[in-house]
Amino acid sequence: MDLLNALVALTNFVLIPAMTYGSQLALGALGVTMVYGILRFSNFAHGDTMAFGTMIVILFTWLFQSMGISLGPLPTALLAIPFGIAGTSLLLLGTDRVVYRFYRAQKAKPVIVVMVSLGVMFIYNGLTRFILGTNEQRFADGERFIIRAREFKEMTGLKEGLTFKTTQGLTIVTAIVVVIALFWFLNKTRTGKSMRAFSDNEDLALLSGINPERVVMVTWIIVAGLVTIAGTLYGLDKSYKPFTYFQLLLPIFAAAIVGGLGSPIGAIAGGFVIAFSEVAVTYAWKKVLVYALPESLEPESLVQLLATEYKFAVSFMILVIVLLVRPTGIFKGKSV
Amino acid sequence: MTQSLRTILLFALVAVLIIGTGILQGPNLALVILNMGLVSAIMALGVNLQWGIAGLFNVGIMGFVALGGLAVVLTSMPPVAEAWAAGGVRAWAGILLGVFTVFGSAMVYKRTRKGWLVGLILLVGFVAYNWVRDPAVSAIEAVDPAATGYLGGLGLPVVLAWPVGGLLAAGAAWVIGKTALGLRSDYLAIATLGISEIVIAVIKNEDWLSRGVKNVNGLPRPVPNEIDLQNDPGFVEAAAGYGLDPTLASTLYVKTGYALMFAVVLVILLVLSQLALKSPWGRMMRAIRDNETSARAMGKDVTFRHLQVFILGSAICGIAGAMMTTLDGLFAPTAYQPLRYTFLIWVMVIVGGSGNNLGAVLGGFLIWFLWVQVETVGPDIMVFLTSGLAEGSALKTHLMDSVAHMRLLTMGVILLLVLRFSPRGLLPEK
Amino acid sequence: MSNSPYDDHGNKDLSLGNAKGMGEIDTTKHSGPTHESAGEPFLIGANMTGGYGKHGPDILHDCTIAVEKGEIAVIVGPNGAGKSTAMKATFGMLNLRKGHVTLDGVDITGLTPQDRVARGMGFVPQNNNIFTSMTVEENLEMGAFLRTDDYRPIIEQVYDLFPILKEKRNQPAGELSGGQRQQVAVGRALMTQPKVLLLDEPTAGVSPIVMDELFDRIIEVARSGISILMVEQNAKQALDIADKGYVLVQGANAHTGTGKSLMADPEVRASFLGG
Repeated sequence: MDLLNALVALTNFVLIPAMTYGSQLALGALGVTMVYGILRFSNFAHGDTMAFGTMIVILFTWLFQSMGISLGPLPTALLAIPFGIAGTSLLLLGTDRVVYRFYRAQKAKPVIVVMVSLGVMFIYNGLTRFILGTNEQRFADGERFIIRAREFKEMTGLKEGLTFKTTQGLTIVTAIVVVIALFWFLNKTRTGKSMRAFSDNEDLALLSGINPERVVMVTWIIVAGLVTIAGTLYGLDKSYKPFTYFQLLLPIFAAAIVGGLGSPIGAIAGGFVIAFSEVAVTYAWKKVLVYALPESLEPESLVQLLATEYKFAVSFMILVIVLLVRPTGIFKGKSV
Repeated sequence: MTQSLRTILLFALVAVLIIGTGILQGPNLALVILNMGLVSAIMALGVNLQWGIAGLFNVGIMGFVALGGLAVVLTSMPPVAEAWAAGGVRAWAGILLGVFTVFGSAMVYKRTRKGWLVGLILLVGFVAYNWVRDPAVSAIEAVDPAATGYLGGLGLPVVLAWPVGGLLAAGAAWVIGKTALGLRSDYLAIATLGISEIVIAVIKNEDWLSRGVKNVNGLPRPVPNEIDLQNDPGFVEAAAGYGLDPTLASTLYVKTGYALMFAVVLVILLVLSQLALKSPWGRMMRAIRDNETSARAMGKDVTFRHLQVFILGSAICGIAGAMMTTLDGLFAPTAYQPLRYTFLIWVMVIVGGSGNNLGAVLGGFLIWFLWVQVETVGPDIMVFLTSGLAEGSALKTHLMDSVAHMRLLTMGVILLLVLRFSPRGLLPEK
Repeated sequence: MSNSPYDDHGNKDLSLGNAKGMGEIDTTKHSGPTHESAGEPFLIGANMTGGYGKHGPDILHDCTIAVEKGEIAVIVGPNGAGKSTAMKATFGMLNLRKGHVTLDGVDITGLTPQDRVARGMGFVPQNNNIFTSMTVEENLEMGAFLRTDDYRPIIEQVYDLFPILKEKRNQPAGELSGGQRQQVAVGRALMTQPKVLLLDEPTAGVSPIVMDELFDRIIEVARSGISILMVEQNAKQALDIADKGYVLVQGANAHTGTGKSLMADPEVRASFLGG
């Protein structure tokens, strides 16, 4: 029995990856929930918007790298994020003007707008593939690790190593900063409150002098920010492949629904619930258990509940269980 | 223009497009388009049943199509005796155990509402499932992994796989519908999205069942093989009589055979759908769609009706999926992409005209035609568009390389244009 | 067969979207021009004919509603008479085919509802007239959205008018009782310091005691110089406090007069006030 090593292994293989993935999902789900709350539809183009935003960041990263600009130990991509957000904002606002606005004027029901978002999804998907292709792209640079396994072992004298990648630290820190900023914005600023008011009751917001078109515009800009940051962090941490982003749609939606659609705090909670369940269910617990249990109880098998390939199944099962117990998600969303 | 004239004209347009392809680009391509057009039309018909008359939004079409494909493997491939001996019974017993565990826990939850008890059942069931299944699976997958490594199928005629595909899809639809429509609020879309990803994950990873990503090749065919035809002196002679060389004649013969079989299935399903739509049942379904509250007040079991139509529509997608895999002669799980097998079908239904069966069929043909033609004609258009650019310039090379992705853009643009200017589709519901 | 190609097709799937809280007012429309139009009552919707939407049937037929500065005008009439519609028409929520609306000497017929708010009209709808997920104070803040100056004193004024709201300032408005919600709704509309306040059945669904109190408050508001145009089911009580009354039948003016004269009119009494 060696609880200290068990704890290190747990942190290394479960806690850190799940925290990182959870942060990425939470940011993605926040974007979905914002669109759901304010524009009232589930945006199927969300994953592809993420891919598009990240693509712009990658292109600017390459540009900066070729110009010799870098952030030292931090990835150059951080420098490119503002440009990514600007580009994605332009894309989203342009789409809104050309596509979505018409349906807003017609008071089209959400399901119709969902269909429209399918068309937008095809176009964004095609655009990204057209510009950058379908191949995997790596754009991470700078110092790779905050803590290396070997250094950790030397430092602590433990048998088990602990790795903490720069991208993981960066993801968690950025997510915290972004979430705090967003909550401050929504709850404390006039514009933020007007967005909540619009989400609550469109007509009354209008009667109070809130300009709905401005609310919609700010929403799209915030969504652009969220997707670009989430996409870049995911790309830095894992790798960039447009199709992967499309596939993130399921866990992101699951996170938003589990938390309660339309509820920002729910989106964050949902992101972490999904991420921790996915990692916990697909992780082979043998290593941790070998340390944690007395020798007589040591498991022979890998103690892996499901193969990693089934991680989508996990988000889905969590979704079903939560909805059975709480039909509106953990934090009561708009879906009452 | 009356609706029926419009219908005739639009279908005539499709015929002209396909025949024109035959004349300009060769009969082979025309038949390729026709065959998959028939299959697409059936898929669109299934989705239209769900969306058009019940307003159910299914984003898991891919899963049902893949189940249809799986049915072809399980029905028509010869059984692998050695693999069965190695652990076939044990593997299926494991699966049954798993199914019983899930259903048992659901029953227990309904009766007792005790979460811990359900958790316990699930845990015990899961451990038992793994204990029964795992050794069997390893044993099966160890049997000649390069050629088989799976249990094989039942060795039945491949056409039987089509109804079986429908049944498999219907079963999956029942589970999804029970879960998602049974919730206090409706979450069908996310449920279908989730299950379809799970279906794909299963057929990619359960090698013992369908060889996973190693694919199943050489599926039995309901029509003769081209090579056999080319070696048949009678056929070669007959082909020569029409002035065709044997290779071309054999492909045309085989593809026409598929086209005829698919056309029969499409016509049957279309007639049934039309009859259903006009029947009292169809009227009731539309009444529920148009005013759920009053239908409920009149004592209609809306949830049950939704489940019913969801299962029917999904079964049709399963049949189409089985037909498609039969046509390909290959079951390749990695080929199942949501853009192609879920969202493209949606484009077909919306463009064709939701709520109108003929519209869905039309959309199936038309969109499939474009999907193929953008790919084949796209490079020529790009050559023309980039003719002003210097040969070998980076931009031109990039544009020419990216032309393959034009079809996604095109589909998106078409969908948006139709939704904007003809939101009811080309053939609206009457 | 459904009317609009943009309706939900019977789909109620919550994972696709939620129409709850969706509005009816077209937010993308822009206002037309306005021009001076002197010599008319403070607010008048004159000879209004029109209905909802571009192709909707006419609901109002040559209907005229007016209110003078600091007065209370009440619209009464049987169910389906177009009372609310007439009031919404003065607020620009209708497609007027004929007639015009004038506010304080300016013809505002071409303005969108949101621009009328900016011109000094306040509107309290009958239903969904508060932001249920926001606190009482946030509701009032949203009412003051157009203000660029310090709105704290106005909030205090509203709290003076409705003391209970001060007590519940940090509670989500959705948790309040019916009468309190109406107070929040009126308070929100007062935050813009409107010249005219339009109230659509402010006492619907509240108890008689609360109703009396609400009417008292409304009189108080009118005394501060704000014109009030109000639709009411409780015709007697409403005409009691009204300077002017309009009885509408089938979208047209049936009787017009001071509140007292209408109360005295035997025909009005017999048909609408229950004898």
